[in-house]
Amino acid sequence: MGKTNGFGSRGPRSNQREAERFAHQEENRQLDQALSANLAENVQALQRLYTRCSDVIFHEFCIGNRMEAVLVYIDGLAHIEEVDQHVLAPLQQDFPMDFTLADIRGKIAVSSIKPVDTIVKVLEEISGGNPVLLMEREPHGLAIGLPKWEKRAIDEPSAESVLRGPREGFIESLRTNTALLRRKIRTPHLKIVTMSMGKYTSTQIALAYLEGVAAPSLVEEMTSRLQRIEIDGILESVYIEELIEDNPFSPFPQLLSTERPDVASAYLLEGHVVVLIDGTPSVLIAPITFYSLLQSPEDYYERYVVGTAIRWLRYLFFLISLLGPSFYVAVITYHQEMIPNALLITMARSREQIPFPAIVEALLMESMFEALREAGARLPKQIGTAVSIVGALVIGQAAIAAGIVSAPMVMVVAITGVASFMAPRFTVGIAIRLLRFPVMVLAGFLGLLGLIMGGILILNHLFKLRSFGAPYMAPLAPMQWRSLNDVLWRAPRWLMTKRPHMTGAWNPRRQPHGQRPGPHKGESGD
Amino acid sequence: MVIENGKISAPQIGKMIYLAVTPTAILSTPAITYQFAKQDLWISPMWAFSGVIAIWIALSIHRLFPGENLVQAGERILGRKLGKVFGLVILLYYLYLGGVIVREYGEFVVGAFLVQTPLLVVSGSMVLVCAIVVRSGVEIIARFADVFIPVFAMLFLLLIIPLLPDLHILKMLPIMGEGIGPSLSGSVVLQAWFSEFLTVSFLIPFANRAEKVKKSMAITLLAVIVTLVSSNLVTLLLLGELTGNYNYPFLIVARYINLADFFTHLESLFMAIWVLGAFVKICVFFYVTAMGAAQWMNLREYQPIVFPVGFLLLLMSVWVAPNLQELTHALSTSIIFSALTVLVCIPAALLGLAWIRRQWGKKNLQD
Repeated sequence: MGKTNGFGSRGPRSNQREAERFAHQEENRQLDQALSANLAENVQALQRLYTRCSDVIFHEFCIGNRMEAVLVYIDGLAHIEEVDQHVLAPLQQDFPMDFTLADIRGKIAVSSIKPVDTIVKVLEEISGGNPVLLMEREPHGLAIGLPKWEKRAIDEPSAESVLRGPREGFIESLRTNTALLRRKIRTPHLKIVTMSMGKYTSTQIALAYLEGVAAPSLVEEMTSRLQRIEIDGILESVYIEELIEDNPFSPFPQLLSTERPDVASAYLLEGHVVVLIDGTPSVLIAPITFYSLLQSPEDYYERYVVGTAIRWLRYLFFLISLLGPSFYVAVITYHQEMIPNALLITMARSREQIPFPAIVEALLMESMFEALREAGARLPKQIGTAVSIVGALVIGQAAIAAGIVSAPMVMVVAITGVASFMAPRFTVGIAIRLLRFPVMVLAGFLGLLGLIMGGILILNHLFKLRSFGAPYMAPLAPMQWRSLNDVLWRAPRWLMTKRPHMTGAWNPRRQPHGQRPGPHKGESGD
Repeated sequence: MVIENGKISAPQIGKMIYLAVTPTAILSTPAITYQFAKQDLWISPMWAFSGVIAIWIALSIHRLFPGENLVQAGERILGRKLGKVFGLVILLYYLYLGGVIVREYGEFVVGAFLVQTPLLVVSGSMVLVCAIVVRSGVEIIARFADVFIPVFAMLFLLLIIPLLPDLHILKMLPIMGEGIGPSLSGSVVLQAWFSEFLTVSFLIPFANRAEKVKKSMAITLLAVIVTLVSSNLVTLLLLGELTGNYNYPFLIVARYINLADFFTHLESLFMAIWVLGAFVKICVFFYVTAMGAAQWMNLREYQPIVFPVGFLLLLMSVWVAPNLQELTHALSTSIIFSALTVLVCIPAALLGLAWIRRQWGKKNLQD
């Protein structure tokens, strides 16, 4: 018994809880019960559990006009037409005099039939959309694998679109998602272990990994972390993410979520593990490094020179989005000598009328920008454009004309805003946008020194952070030369002969050396 | 009793030591060295005797007592009570040196950049940040060194390369006009910095492959010498006889840069380099002090005493000198001798004692 709520209420309330808990245990005991040979008893037990569930159908009929049977299913989750055609129709024909369970199974023209023998298993099958056939004088039911529910078509994930590369994305159905993975990696080494989680939602969760590539210790660690979870319901992958990550207080994501099967497959091939959750298109990948949050699948589908250049552009603008306004504030407040003279004069002129110090100006505009971004993101499209127009006018024109902020500041805020959208993962973009504010305040107090201090503190956190035991900032700190191949530049495919250090240590060899193509490749004497 | 669970690699130790020696050496030494060595300023860093000796002592101690640092080995060699006294001397000296570094850092930043900011705010914020990092452990400091070394090198080159056309090679003549005497006496002040190489003794126990430390220390010593020679050379070739007139000649060099009227006044860049370097330097000294003190007091972990030690460090930085002039004077006089005594002579004597005891023990065994 836990805490008391309020005065004097302890007695009755705890009694009530005791009773509730007792009822719960009673229910659990019932659930574990085996099916009895008496059909009426089984049906009654199920009907008692499914009281006031109008979508559960108990269809009574006679097998071979002789044996009483009940088909239990949930309307909307089972494929009714198929059930009618392949289960009910053949079973209701005339049967020979003494038929067995095997005969009944033989009559049902469905590929997946599972015998079930406890109430809890029956419930599982029914909730999963499989109709269950219960028969008189049989302590077994038959779960018929004919689920069908409405699902979205596979289309391109809007948050991670690419110009070149596959355009399919995960959807909300777990089976479809595992099939998408299996279609890309066609080997029995791809293991997909499912488990069910959530006291009320019983959400299906699949752990996928490539046997022989992923380190067994990693798979074990992930399994044990998943098994530790006790929760009433799981509606999105972030429920799991928050319960298995290494540092729950960090603003940085320690698991990568993606909606793209090709990204998930690429990580599987590097020895990571992937967690798929029923009911959400985003899957979780672990372990990850900080740099994987700054990579886009496009880097690997473009030519490597272009991919490298874009990657560096992204690093640069990542730094700008974190430090841009702080740098501006520091320079304009403390280090004016750094600005070239001609520019300094223009800037001084534009700041002449401004009543606030640069730091106030920056905080004002940055929070305004964040507000506009949030408003625009949550509104329907038609109103969203109105917000952005008003925002552009307010921020861009009116604020300058009214003499509240200076034009260079607006420019800095705009550049920072654009830069923060360059992060290919929204989660890291938002973390950076958040950290920008404390750094800005530090820069306002101590200039460049404060900016460096802020940077050091953020780095300190990043260096300490681990994702499933792997250092977050590897391979840069600690330095791992082999893995820098995929961080400092996007190495061409024929040079990526080794898997990254962090996950690939178990099985480092990716492909043989010496595959560099050329016009004379493959000729004799080469 | 394990106080630190982190493991670092030999190159990481090298990088930490490099950043624990170079940054302040670039800043403070040229002016002092110039007074003795004149145009042979750039030769002085090559006389790195105390560095070689300090590294040799640290490595020998580790060979005799694997997995132990200087203070722990001292207790083994001198016995419990004397060993504790020895440890206290070393640790207090590290605290003192840490205070000097924090003060140097604070004086530099306040004097050159944040003129109106109180000294205590500047050094206090740095000590606070360092304390937070030191609490994270030796692995994290090593990662900082990993990341800052390339940044440090890049910014250093960025300062030197634009100056190449402005250098006057004639200013270094005559080379050794009066023999090696001036450059040798100029190198005396540098010995204080080179003796800081002894710090490696406190880091070897955390190395995952201790046998590689020797090579990485050799490379580090060479890198420090090359850096100091090139920074002194650039200062000399640009400023010539003016070198001795400034507190921070290399800062003047940074101010001199003017590329296309756009890259002007890069001294803020220099400050960035220097703050990054000083940060690692303070962290290393801070860490050694805190960790050593925890060992000395037989604590189970050093994290709880990090903030108290940081407070002492800040106080020490105020106590070391009343003003910048006194600090510079101390750097060119008393600190050289105290550093050579505590970081070179005493450990050398300790090593000698250990060696004699070992020989004696062997002889006794044979008898």
